[in-house]
Amino acid sequence: MVARLKARAPQLLTAGAIAIASAAVLLAQPPARTVNGLQVSVKSVEHTAKASLRDCPPGTNTVNAVQRPGDEIAVVTVDFKVMPDFKPVMMKRPTATAADDKVYNTSIQFVDVGSVPEYSCQFVYRVPQGTKLKTLQIEGASFDISGLESK
Amino acid sequence: MEIDRRAFIAGLGGAAAVAGMSDEAKADALEHYMEDQLDAGVAAQRGQTAPGQPETFQTVAEIEAQIETRPYRRGVGGVFVGNRGQNVKKIEPMPDKPSIQDFFRLRFAPANHVLQSATRAMKTGMSEEIILACLLHDCVLSLIKPDHGWWGAQLFEPYIPEKSAFAIRYHQTLRFFPDEEAGYEYPDQYYRIFGKDYTPPQYIQDTYKWLKNHKWYMEPRLVTVNDLYAFDPNAKVSIEPFEDVIGRHFKSPKEGLGFDNSPSAHMWRTLARPDSPL
Repeated sequence: MVARLKARAPQLLTAGAIAIASAAVLLAQPPARTVNGLQVSVKSVEHTAKASLRDCPPGTNTVNAVQRPGDEIAVVTVDFKVMPDFKPVMMKRPTATAADDKVYNTSIQFVDVGSVPEYSCQFVYRVPQGTKLKTLQIEGASFDISGLESK
Repeated sequence: MEIDRRAFIAGLGGAAAVAGMSDEAKADALEHYMEDQLDAGVAAQRGQTAPGQPETFQTVAEIEAQIETRPYRRGVGGVFVGNRGQNVKKIEPMPDKPSIQDFFRLRFAPANHVLQSATRAMKTGMSEEIILACLLHDCVLSLIKPDHGWWGAQLFEPYIPEKSAFAIRYHQTLRFFPDEEAGYEYPDQYYRIFGKDYTPPQYIQDTYKWLKNHKWYMEPRLVTVNDLYAFDPNAKVSIEPFEDVIGRHFKSPKEGLGFDNSPSAHMWRTLARPDSPL
């Protein structure tokens, strides 16, 4: 029994590490909230050199935003679920606020937000290199995303 | 070039999505895929990038070096050259009194990009002047490409609201200048088309300075905002949702476009008869 456990130790350690990492990501995620009849869950923040410009819900647009000197692109991934009390509504583009309180706009627009029951959107923010985002604002609801930024 | 069929179909959203696409959309998607693959291959050969690395873009000089590799100039209008290097085909004659819808069907088709752009403007609650401007903003590319904002505005000016013509004329300028607050990014496709080190000519920069303080700045800006998001090979669009907007804002001449003696009538006739030698 002990020998069998010893043999499986690397796998168990890996599984444990994955579980801890997943738990850490889950803990960092702000709680889901309902906005305009949509359940909104912020999933991640990534910094990248290039990002797809696709509306929300996303189609398959082929145009990308690319990094310019001194800039980087922060991509905030948000899951949406259409709730039973949803009523069609025009929604403003979400904004993101950085640690220094500067507000950034995205070019990603909400288009037909009730057209599919569940979807994931990536909001693209062009920010100066090294910028850490603090909050995401969607229609007056503010989500703390500071825990999703890598340290 | 070898096509990774599975990756290509997956990239389009799967077999069901491909089955629903028109032949033209499939051809465009394939061409785009092949161009991307070709670009990646060429770049990798030049040691510019490795698989999975950010795309690199040609310089203005490299793009100019390709001029003498083509039997036509890049600025030629779409009705005057064959698709994908093929010979041109006979085109269906226009009706005696052609309408804007006839031009959409017979000369601007498939017009996917402008239809997608106008659809987005409509779905995001923009004004009818902007929806119309989005619908018409690139149609003149069938006639001519350089300075298409000015040519396009001139083509439509006798028939549409002043704000729509203004938006069409100046979207050409504003597309080179990002405006994050308005929701406009500088797209990677311009690096591809113009070169990564491209600087807009002085008249474009002067026009931009003038536009920034113009009370109608947002009219052309909103055309550029919708422009970026209208390159979706899977989008299903048609001109039908815009019939009412056209009916309310496009003054269709009873003689038909090209025969109403307007300042742009000759441009419509040229589009109607592109095989005319003189």
